Amino acid sequence: MKREEPLWRRYLRFFGPDVAADVDDELAFHLDMRERDLVARGLTPEQARAEARRRFGDVETIRHQLRKGDSRRLRRTRRIEYVEELMQDLRYGLRTLWQHRGFSAAAVVTLALGIGAATAMFTAVDAALLRPLPFREPSRLVSLVSIQVPFAPGGNRSDDNGNTPDLVSVRAMTDLFEQAATYAFGGLNLAGDGEPLRVAVGVVTPNLFTTLGVAPAVGRGFSQEEERPGSARTVILSHGLWQRRFGGDSVLGRRLELSGKTYEIIGVMPRGFGFPQRSDLWIPLTVPTTFESFDAFRGWLPSESIARLRDGVSPEAAAARLRDAWLRLPAEQRRYRNNAEQVPFVPFQAALAGNRQKPLLVLLGATTLLLLIGCANVTNLMLVRASARRREIAMRAVLGASRGRLVRQLLTESLLLSGAGALGGIAIAFAGLGVMRLLLPVEMQSVAPATVDLRVLGFAVLLAGLTGLLFGLWPAFGAARTDVNETMKSGGHASNHRGAGRLRRALVVFELAVALTLLSGAGLMLRSLGALLAVDPGFEPGRVGALEMTFARGTGPGAGAARLRVMSDALDRLAAMPGIEAAGIVNDLPLKGGVSVSVRAEGASEAAETPFARYLQASAGYFQALGIPLISGRLMTPADTDSAPKVMVINQTLARTVWPGQNPLGKRIHGFGPPGGPPEFRTVIGVVGDVRDGGLDNDAPLPQMYFPVYEQYPINVSLVARGTLDTRSLLGSLRRAVAEADPRQAVYNVRTMDEVVAASVAQRRTNTQLITAFSAAALLLAIVGVYGVVAYGVAQRRRELGIRAALGATSSDLARLVAREGLAMAVAGVVLGLAGAYACSRVIASMLYGVTPTDAATFVLAPSLLLVLVVGATLVPARRAARLDPTEVMRAD
Amino acid sequence: MPEPVDLLRGTLDLLILKALSWGKAHGYAVARWIEQATDDALQIEEGSLYPALHRLEERGLIESTWGLSENNRRARYYTLTGDGRRQLKQESAMWSRFARAVFAALDAPASPAVTT
Repeated sequence: MKREEPLWRRYLRFFGPDVAADVDDELAFHLDMRERDLVARGLTPEQARAEARRRFGDVETIRHQLRKGDSRRLRRTRRIEYVEELMQDLRYGLRTLWQHRGFSAAAVVTLALGIGAATAMFTAVDAALLRPLPFREPSRLVSLVSIQVPFAPGGNRSDDNGNTPDLVSVRAMTDLFEQAATYAFGGLNLAGDGEPLRVAVGVVTPNLFTTLGVAPAVGRGFSQEEERPGSARTVILSHGLWQRRFGGDSVLGRRLELSGKTYEIIGVMPRGFGFPQRSDLWIPLTVPTTFESFDAFRGWLPSESIARLRDGVSPEAAAARLRDAWLRLPAEQRRYRNNAEQVPFVPFQAALAGNRQKPLLVLLGATTLLLLIGCANVTNLMLVRASARRREIAMRAVLGASRGRLVRQLLTESLLLSGAGALGGIAIAFAGLGVMRLLLPVEMQSVAPATVDLRVLGFAVLLAGLTGLLFGLWPAFGAARTDVNETMKSGGHASNHRGAGRLRRALVVFELAVALTLLSGAGLMLRSLGALLAVDPGFEPGRVGALEMTFARGTGPGAGAARLRVMSDALDRLAAMPGIEAAGIVNDLPLKGGVSVSVRAEGASEAAETPFARYLQASAGYFQALGIPLISGRLMTPADTDSAPKVMVINQTLARTVWPGQNPLGKRIHGFGPPGGPPEFRTVIGVVGDVRDGGLDNDAPLPQMYFPVYEQYPINVSLVARGTLDTRSLLGSLRRAVAEADPRQAVYNVRTMDEVVAASVAQRRTNTQLITAFSAAALLLAIVGVYGVVAYGVAQRRRELGIRAALGATSSDLARLVAREGLAMAVAGVVLGLAGAYACSRVIASMLYGVTPTDAATFVLAPSLLLVLVVGATLVPARRAARLDPTEVMRAD
Repeated sequence: MPEPVDLLRGTLDLLILKALSWGKAHGYAVARWIEQATDDALQIEEGSLYPALHRLEERGLIESTWGLSENNRRARYYTLTGDGRRQLKQESAMWSRFARAVFAALDAPASPAVTT
């Protein structure tokens, strides 16, 4: 609508037509005209006024009606225009992007890489840290520190003063907690028709499921009654085991034989629920625990306790109360309690995420940096294209497109690119789910695995929008600012826009700096992994196979003898097999957790602080099979039975700790006889090398002592063998030896010691591989960025370089001129990047092992690598510049 | 505000279209033309002209522009669109038929004869 109006009103109409004023004007005009005509016919002005209004009718109603109708119409028109323009922009954008397929593909791939990496990492971060756990009011759940179920072999709690920091005392604080439950994760042998099966078992107090707020899908949960020691044995199946073992048939009331005991099936948990870890089934943990509670475990009960805060109780208040209660305990009780009186509990989700939290956030940060580099690269591409498009844009401006319209058009193109990138990124996130699941603690994998859900899709869309604006806004405004006259006059040749060139170089410097930051981080992580793998585990893992088994805990004097028979039989058969060089038994394999007990040397005062030593049971063959050196003395023999004098083999660290500077052979420690009995002693007969326990990244080897396995055959044993066979045959021999000794005995964790070592560093390896992959991608993008800017510079400066050549510059002069540009960017990038790398090393310091955060090798190698690659990327355009033929360049103009 | 679609409203639309068929005009001029052309017989409330004008514009039968009036004031001028011209032709033809039929009926000489 074209209109002429007073100038001042145009300002009011800045945002479009002013409907109300237009209606007022139109009606006022009518009334005035009528009044004037009436006055001309002889009426007085007052009469005319009244008559005009009478003839018009109800002015206010009509005014209102018109205003309403017109503004509705205006809104609709605007909406239609907007949608039409949008469709137009989309069509135009798609056509333009299709016309420049190479550019579009490069941008989309870059963005897909960045968005994909970030989205994939987000799936893991979301699952572990952000998304609430799928339990009832998960924020009220807390993980209690150092709270266990009291142990009472007789079935009654021995110490019942209500003062012991255990599950029973926490439950008694009913004003703070609604419920408190304990769970542990172990394994049992499931007897059946075919091969004996080792199943993963959650041993849980009956109220665990109600505390979490999860109910069985079939049947009932455990009843409080089943918490009492000696009550009927019941079992709840996981959905998976129910399907695998029973084909989903009705199972309630049926019986299962687990490690020689019969359990009645009372329920099945919902699909996907496996807490803690990936449990196949659950049995009750009694309160108090008895010897029977240890059936599913290797010598100790790895239990965790949780509680649900009562409504209205703040975590701070509850923590303060618990702190007070624990501080009233006698000092020696507090000694083993991991500072529980400082931090009595932590939020459940944080406890589950545990030490995974830091690497997850660091990796998410790394992908964010990668995405930023990708954005910088795409911005560069857009800037190059914007200057190539100046003529087109100027033409559209001449044809009447407003600046806002041009910006919108260009932003639509950016968002189309980032949207396509997001689609690719989501595909990458799907593909990466398998790896992301490895990053989650196993407890979370079993209840809330990483998935691509609406939240994740929303995250990807958000990233697409942000990146689209990030790399689109600057070029769009730059292009919309294009001076139309200038561009049309110059015939649209992309003259080197000084500002744009500087911006492009700045972006590349930024990319190089960020890439170097990531590269140094990856370097430190790789060096840590290298240092870790270089740690001497104390044994030779090559060519050694191992399997684990757990005997049914028989009762009576014959049980131990039965185990001994199976064990010796299996060992004898194994040793007789071809290709087996050594075979032995140990209760706990290296690099895993285990039980430690306090050791008091003969003659040491009872008040003195005693060291702890890892308690192991082994046969001589174990040391031979694993290549653990005997430093002095002798190893145990089958004659070292329960009735023989008590002996033990210790490692060097224990020898040094207890008898520094002395010969430990023949020295004695206090034995572990029943309290009140005659003093019992155990004599050191040999010293062996240190073996890493717990993990390779423990700072120092722990003190260890090995009791003869013949003395008291353990329930849980590992059979190990070294052989000249290939892996498959070696593991096959191990399996066969056990199967021949007792076909009903289940075995599990059949693997090589190399795998045991690898498993102990698996987490760190995954983190390192991911950050290395991210930094490699970042490096690649940054180098592509350098190449792009330098090559584009050469293309633009053809004329200038040609003139220089004509004036006598040699090829190497020209090459140097071009290379200098690349090197200047590289040097700036390295200076900034080193600062970034330093900051990054502070952040990841706690994730490093065996290297300092300012590791010299990393801080020299990473920048050197970057410089070499930048030089390489500069070389190609530099040589092109050197080959310029001046006459040809001149003729082209 | 729902308005009854009555005979008068349809008539008013038709009169407006007719008024504009002579060329661009503002609302007051349309009112004056109707007044004179019908000898003020229809007694239309002038105010009702404007909702009708705006409605016709919304239907795309007429267009409006702002311009200066004969006495130099800002006024909204309406013109007929192509659609409006067609609509005018159709409706006036229909009106003529309708009016002829009514007149014919009024002038009929005899009472209705029933034939079988």
